[in-house]
Amino acid sequence: MSSIKSIGAYLPQLRLERSAIGQALGWLTTGTGRGLRTLAFWDEDSVTMAVAAARNLPAKDLQAIETLTLATTTPPFAEPQNAALTHAALRLPRYCCTQDATGTPRATLLALHAALENGRNALIVAADKPVAKAGSAAESRAGDAGAAVLAGAGDGLLNYLAGASLSAPFIHRSRATGATFPLDWEDRWIREEGYLKLLPEAIKTALERAGLAPDAINHLILPCAMAGAAASVVRAAGLTNARPAPDLNDQVGDTGTAHALLMLCAVAPQIAPGETVVLAQFGQGATALVFAAGEGLQQLGGLKEQIDGGRVETCYAKLLAFSDQLDWDRGLRGRYIVPESQSTAYRNAEAIFGFVASRDPHTGQVIFPPTAGGGLEPWPLADRGGTVATMTSDLLAFSRHPPNCYGLVDFNGGGRLMMDFTDPDAPDLAPGDPVRFVFRVKDIDAHSGYRRYFWKAVRDAAPA
Amino acid sequence: MATGLKDKVAILSMGCSRFGERWDMGQEDLMREAFYEALQRAGIGAEDIGAAWYSAHYDDIGAGKSGVPMAMALSLPGIGVTRVENFCAGGTEAFRGAVMAVASGAVDIALAMGAEKLKDTGFAGLPPASRGTLAPMYMPTHTNPGNFAQLARAYEAVHGLSRGDLKHAMAHTSMKSHANAAKNEKAHLRRPITIEQALQAPIVADPLGLFDCCPVSDGAACALLTTPEIARSLLNIDPVLVKAAQLVTSNGWEAQQSEWNGAYVHTTRLAARAAYAEAGINDPRRQISMTELHDCFSITELVTLEDLGLADSGTAWRAMLDGRFDGDGVQPCQIDGGLKCFGHPVGASGLRMLYEAWLQLTGQAGTRQLRLPSLALTHNLGGAPAQNVSSVTIVGL
Repeated sequence: MSSIKSIGAYLPQLRLERSAIGQALGWLTTGTGRGLRTLAFWDEDSVTMAVAAARNLPAKDLQAIETLTLATTTPPFAEPQNAALTHAALRLPRYCCTQDATGTPRATLLALHAALENGRNALIVAADKPVAKAGSAAESRAGDAGAAVLAGAGDGLLNYLAGASLSAPFIHRSRATGATFPLDWEDRWIREEGYLKLLPEAIKTALERAGLAPDAINHLILPCAMAGAAASVVRAAGLTNARPAPDLNDQVGDTGTAHALLMLCAVAPQIAPGETVVLAQFGQGATALVFAAGEGLQQLGGLKEQIDGGRVETCYAKLLAFSDQLDWDRGLRGRYIVPESQSTAYRNAEAIFGFVASRDPHTGQVIFPPTAGGGLEPWPLADRGGTVATMTSDLLAFSRHPPNCYGLVDFNGGGRLMMDFTDPDAPDLAPGDPVRFVFRVKDIDAHSGYRRYFWKAVRDAAPA
Repeated sequence: MATGLKDKVAILSMGCSRFGERWDMGQEDLMREAFYEALQRAGIGAEDIGAAWYSAHYDDIGAGKSGVPMAMALSLPGIGVTRVENFCAGGTEAFRGAVMAVASGAVDIALAMGAEKLKDTGFAGLPPASRGTLAPMYMPTHTNPGNFAQLARAYEAVHGLSRGDLKHAMAHTSMKSHANAAKNEKAHLRRPITIEQALQAPIVADPLGLFDCCPVSDGAACALLTTPEIARSLLNIDPVLVKAAQLVTSNGWEAQQSEWNGAYVHTTRLAARAAYAEAGINDPRRQISMTELHDCFSITELVTLEDLGLADSGTAWRAMLDGRFDGDGVQPCQIDGGLKCFGHPVGASGLRMLYEAWLQLTGQAGTRQLRLPSLALTHNLGGAPAQNVSSVTIVGL
């Protein structure tokens, strides 16, 4: 017996009104839609959103993790391994099998399937930040988000009964290596030949392996951006007593590899102990995982707080600028090289990725960046939070979302650092405000695309 | 036992180029403009100089690294030229090096030169300075207005100022310097401004507006230093003597620990205390005749007045509004226009301040001449409020 032990999710703060796409491009294209879609801030990508989702796991014993999988169709790097960066930011055990899983939104459930079958302590993080052509249906349907799941042996939130992963060269979307934009095939073909044939087949196999009849299933969690497709799958698979989980399309959008877990997170409070759940995903085949709910799902917070906590954005050009689809004027101040300095980065990896200071246990003095020396202890800062000592909103400094906000932050427990403040509400911060820390993109080289990561401060809405 | 520098070194002469957007001149030309003025005023030749110190902050623009560009530009007579760099305090650092060379007896006459050619970047404001490979991995992309805007926000918060009072005091600070610079033919910005203009200027880094920021200028300034005895033999007047030259560098206490409240500059307080002790000053508000402060931003000037003990903590803004530091005030500050209007060619600014002090103390300041000044204080700050190099120099008769 193995199970899902914990589920976490992360939604970026910005919610783009789909009508804003229509206002900008409605005269030219039709793919605008309704409702809101999440929009990652300029300094968020699949690595940072995966890290954020893992940090949002309500129960976690990260020191027991044996494997880490980062599932994403939008890895920031072809090389190095993105999971290694995620591993460093989360400060997971040094001995840990890390891997990137990519190529399909189903990569997440493929990794989860494997983990549940082998029963090892696995952390699977998933995040997508899809880029699609301006005005396309894919752009409008998509959302940016991260999700995380912890799996392992024994009972948990969702006890694993069986699963099936079916592989088929069904290419509903393609994007050549190095290409920026995907090419989507016709919706009707995807629905009729894809969703309605491959998913019922995988679900049927999984149920047979679980020894359950189709009418024994209470919940189907299946991401699909096509309206009504999940309900059609319920019928096609004969899940006569199953409720399809809300698709979140009007509040979040289709977040690719993150979406099955995101939907699970949202619906979890409505799953009673003992109820049965099929968690499924489509993409070059189909995966269906069958669970019996254990205790604790109804006590989870779900996704409501994050959905309600968004900040509505009506400027469509931000999506274009954040995804480098707009060749905007950065000015001469924006024309600088972001050096890789890999030997410096590795030497300081604990500080830069892990946000670890040093502390003198005798004097209590905390110093960042940490100093090496006898008797000093490592002092992790990421979860400590702090207070703004002073700050500014700088309109002169180069920023991908001016003004550039930064200031001195006093860490709870000692120490101080001048830090970047991020998220769209950063200019509202003031001396004395509590902040917490998030792992974000520090800067991106405009020519090579190389990006660096570091920790930034955001307003702590609910300080401990 | 160290006895300090007081009265061991005299200013033989000084020179200063016109500051501003000197599109027609490179760094070498600017140095020559300042140097020939100093030689002419002293009545000596380059061959009389025994050693030289050269301050230039940027080397990727301007004239490059080392002392070579200066030795070549000035055709110095085969002597050592030491290039120093200490953020915006480099000018005073060059002065300090030359002062120590004379005080030690190593040379009879030493040259201190500061120069910067900043208007070859293509944009307004200072270019980002290199910070090594590690710091850019965690430090924000910051600017100098942004660094000092944080000083303003902390000053506002710590002293409970309203935004209106803060902005008015900062506006008065800049208005006063513009008025002073109108009388200075070498100044970069010579047009007077009104309080309203300053208040209505666009924000650069909250809460600093355009008129709270000094300009970025091309320029050079220099000093020829010698012993009091040689100075007396060459000059027909009592020479201006160095009374104190102190410099303090941040060690991380402000930037890495939480005790500093962000509303003052710690190093300036330390440097001022040491300088007053070295010069034997116990009541700076009465004894100091004039000050040239590092007013890179209006808030820096206000905070520095407090750090130097020329106003009580949290009161400089009110004293500024009352006119205490105006050109005709009790304790004139920035009588030449300061960084705000004379201009700020980074590596030269410390020497430019001393140039004005020397002109005033020797009665050569023309239409802006103060009445019988006897002690002048210059304050030259490099870096950010949390991490900097601060120097306090006192010269007098």
